[in-house]
Amino acid sequence: MVAELASTTDLAIILVTAALIGISAHQTGQPTIVAYLLTGLLLGPAALGIVEPSEVTSTMAELGLAFLLFLLGIKMRIEDVRHVLHPVLEISLPQMALVFLAGSGTAAVLGFAFWEALLIGLVVMYSSTAVVIKMLTDEDAVTSLPGKIDVGILLVQDVVVVILLTLLASGRPDSAVDLGITLLTVFGLIACVGFVTVAATRHLLPELFRRIADDRDAFFLVAVAFAFLFVLVFDELGLSIEMGAFLAGVSLAQLPYSTELRDRVSPLTNLFVLIFFVSIGLQLDAGDLFVHWREAIVAAFVLIPAKFLIFFALLSRQGFSLETTFLGSVTMIQVSEFALVAGTVAVAKGFVGEPVLGFLSLLAVVTMGVSVYVIKYDQRLFERLYPLLSRWETAGTGRTIEQQRYRDHAVVIGYDELTRSVLPRLEKFYDDVVVIDRKVTHVEALEDAGYDVVYGDFRHAEIRNESGLKRAAFVLSSSAELEVNEALLADVGERTTVFVEAAWAEDARELYHHGAHYVVLSPQLTAERLAEYLDAYFEDREAFGVAAETDLVNPRRSDLVSGAVEDSGGGSGE
Amino acid sequence: MVPVSELLTALSVVFVVGGAFLFVATRFALPIVPFFIFAGVVAGPFVEAELTLELARYGIVLLVFTFSMQIQFETVRTVLSDSEVVALGQIFVLGGIGVVVSVSIGLPSDQALYIGIAAALSSTIVGTGLLRTGRYRNLVYGRLAESIQFVQDLIAILLILVLSAETFAADPVATKLGYGVVLVGAAIVVNRQLFDLLGRVAGGSDELMLVSVIALLIAFLGAAELAGVSLAVGAFVAGLAVRRDPGEHLGMLDGLHSIRDFFTAIFFVTLGTLVTVPTTEVILVAGILTLLTTLVKPAATIALLLYKGYEARSATLTSLNLAQVSEFALVIAIEGLVVGALAQPVFDAIILAATVTMLTSSLSSRYDERIYQTLSGRGLLRKHYENVDERSAVPDDITDHVVIVGYGRQGRRLVETCEARDRPYVVVEHDPVLLADLAAECEAYVFGDAMEQYTWTKANVERAQLVVSTVDSNSVSNRILTLAGNGDVDVVLRARTVSTARDLLERGALYVSVPEVLAADRLVERVEAVAAGDISGADLRADSLAELERQAASEYYTTADEIEAVR
Repeated sequence: MVAELASTTDLAIILVTAALIGISAHQTGQPTIVAYLLTGLLLGPAALGIVEPSEVTSTMAELGLAFLLFLLGIKMRIEDVRHVLHPVLEISLPQMALVFLAGSGTAAVLGFAFWEALLIGLVVMYSSTAVVIKMLTDEDAVTSLPGKIDVGILLVQDVVVVILLTLLASGRPDSAVDLGITLLTVFGLIACVGFVTVAATRHLLPELFRRIADDRDAFFLVAVAFAFLFVLVFDELGLSIEMGAFLAGVSLAQLPYSTELRDRVSPLTNLFVLIFFVSIGLQLDAGDLFVHWREAIVAAFVLIPAKFLIFFALLSRQGFSLETTFLGSVTMIQVSEFALVAGTVAVAKGFVGEPVLGFLSLLAVVTMGVSVYVIKYDQRLFERLYPLLSRWETAGTGRTIEQQRYRDHAVVIGYDELTRSVLPRLEKFYDDVVVIDRKVTHVEALEDAGYDVVYGDFRHAEIRNESGLKRAAFVLSSSAELEVNEALLADVGERTTVFVEAAWAEDARELYHHGAHYVVLSPQLTAERLAEYLDAYFEDREAFGVAAETDLVNPRRSDLVSGAVEDSGGGSGE
Repeated sequence: MVPVSELLTALSVVFVVGGAFLFVATRFALPIVPFFIFAGVVAGPFVEAELTLELARYGIVLLVFTFSMQIQFETVRTVLSDSEVVALGQIFVLGGIGVVVSVSIGLPSDQALYIGIAAALSSTIVGTGLLRTGRYRNLVYGRLAESIQFVQDLIAILLILVLSAETFAADPVATKLGYGVVLVGAAIVVNRQLFDLLGRVAGGSDELMLVSVIALLIAFLGAAELAGVSLAVGAFVAGLAVRRDPGEHLGMLDGLHSIRDFFTAIFFVTLGTLVTVPTTEVILVAGILTLLTTLVKPAATIALLLYKGYEARSATLTSLNLAQVSEFALVIAIEGLVVGALAQPVFDAIILAATVTMLTSSLSSRYDERIYQTLSGRGLLRKHYENVDERSAVPDDITDHVVIVGYGRQGRRLVETCEARDRPYVVVEHDPVLLADLAAECEAYVFGDAMEQYTWTKANVERAQLVVSTVDSNSVSNRILTLAGNGDVDVVLRARTVSTARDLLERGALYVSVPEVLAADRLVERVEAVAAGDISGADLRADSLAELERQAASEYYTTADEIEAVR
């Protein structure tokens, strides 16, 4: 009488194993991707052989790839990279060419066939977005100069990856002419779709999303539907769905609400990507995996220094300081997880055999593992190696790239009657006042009034990052939710003064213990004030009238944005 | 071309169509679930339901899982006492009528049981997250509706558990219940012992926490499958295993919500795809179910609430918020269909009725005040004056007094102030939970609805000097101005924003308190002090804490406030 979910057991095993291995990986500082790969290897024919891919798991894996690219697309805020665009292009394109040559050359020397060596070269030229971004975030270095450069390079690489994937997905060409035609068709179609997308993005999307942006759940789902729309269209056109998802993401990235979207799409992506990487492992046979293990080790030993040197040379040419050059280069030494992705597609389309995928997997895992430790200790490494490198020291000015980075600013969370009165005050004392709010009308009014606004829900880590909490001098939260304020207190820096709001004395005490400097208890204050007014009323009617009037007509209330604060308490049914 | 599986294509269609309908629903502030179901109906011909069915089941699982994660044992305790009777009464009455009527039109008894369940349950488990259009505030009827629904949800889980027994003989049911208990035990163990360990070991990585929690969920699902117990129960139990300390794992929870939203969208759209073209039989059964839900259920609920001592307006507003077929009924229906216990026509009827009633209920919630006015105007709700008289205590000769509306924190402070100055006052309050306090602490009070003329007559407002309202409701404020604003009575109201306040002032209020504005003064003082460096953060904290402790002695907690705080 009980209906069963066919894949539950398999999924259960996969997830539990992934969780366990993931936790161990986390403890040793390894990226979770490695853990997922190992899970697949462990459970699949390479080792234990207890799980086989089912339809649900393979669909989730497909979704994983699509969502990964969707997420990537969403991160592509053109303005963010605009100021590093020039040096980044000058670095990334030559870098890819050079690493391609190094990769293919190494593969050819190691004994791989022509096509195989070509493919290997094509897939090792990327660095791992997952590893780099994660490590940079962990070290809080994403907004540093080397960090920004690396992120920019990765973005350019991602665009190239997507093109490569599309090409691979269209299947093996019969001849060079065929290849050329395929290339042209692909580019042509992409251009068409791209054109339509850009038009839609400029004119249609902002209006569309603005109307529903206030409802966060609906907004998230409609964005996902938007991605699926592209997937459907691209599928019909015979193009790779990943490219479609990527374009969908890029369109959405230009909207002001994209940061929040990122945060909501990430968990979904993580889940599906997990299954994706596990399923790669599930496909590999022990035989395939270890056929080329010696080659993999050798390749790793060759490519890591090769990549480092190539990046070092190119960055140095741009005139960055030695430290920036070193740190920027050392982060990018690994082979990307896309090597596996591309490898899987290539195997599926018959370009290469499984053993090559095994080789690539090993290569990726080894280089990723090594790079994690290298990045962790990059500063120390730099100091150690400084004597050797000092001859390449440059003046360091090269190019001053301005960064939008808040420091010693004030952050106000939530725009309501309470914070409204505080804003003008804060402007007097702090250079930058950043307001976080998630109502479209508030955001627009605040921008008009000249404040910096971050649109989004404070509950999301991305939003907290963007407002630079760690470096803020003053933070005011008008949310009375205990969990939000506790998360806030955990995120701020040591020198930050934090004012929060609470509804109950219990909560207030908790918040003080967590480090809040002042807790506004509106209900209590109101009760006290009201009682005072009542007293005054009995005492001296006239004085009461005057006091009462000034309260509401008081000139220090900022009238600028008075109309915007929404009165959600109105309407029937109260 | 990398082969895109059929399932992925089906999923894409589901989302594209669903997304379009969702957009329309959100744009016009309509409830989302019916629109998803419509989307499913439209997408039906293009999608093979069996494909998405499995993913839809994950939607159910996640819905139930996240719902049960919200439950905290303390909340259960404080809330149950209030609404058990009403919730159970509603279920028995409506369930009974539903079964009887279905049997009488010729449905076999096991099918009639499903109709009965659909008629009985009205909880919106989606009220806890995804698809809420609710506007519950700190008002009596909001609290009531939520707690009634909560009790019903628990009963629904129990029902699912029982229904998953092979037959309805005592033995199999007992075995299932036994397994249920074992699973719950395991969940409690995990909650108490393992979960903290998990949190520490996952070391602040939201991603890992999320994966682990989902792994936990699926592990419980696997166990449920082995025990032959429904997956919904497994999901429910898994939710109990997750510790929900505020502040921790915020990222993980948000992540879970995203995943849940994704799968529940699939669930509701798939539901729609399963619906076939309705026959007359289907329409008949759906019609009966709809009538039961939209007319009989509110009537029964109102009667029950009046019996429990709530006054007519709260009773009506609460009932109007419960006049729909619950999503749990849908879950039970789809499980029944998949297993073959529920016939297609009855399933269709339930889906149809659910869609219609969700729409009507959202409309009736939006216009609930008007509906109430119409009903009471027509004299359909008569008896409340006796209640008011019975439960009030106002001296006949009271004059020049202060009428205080609302006996919460503010109300109590005001009463204190009046007593300190030896001024007569009358408290107006309509929450039966506070009746005991009113009787014990107030020299004069009226237990009645501030929206009713009679309440004010009872409070002798014509002879009053001042009316102070502490109720945060625009309709109440407006009403007070109309009812009491003529004559020389001064009126002090409460509003949420300055613009509303100014509006009320123009219409005759003497003063309008906007809580946040009142708090802002103090806040601004302190902000300036800190920013200018007059006082250090540490000193400010020390001072504020000390002040907090001083005021702690004069804290007022009512039962109602307590419930609110715990929630």
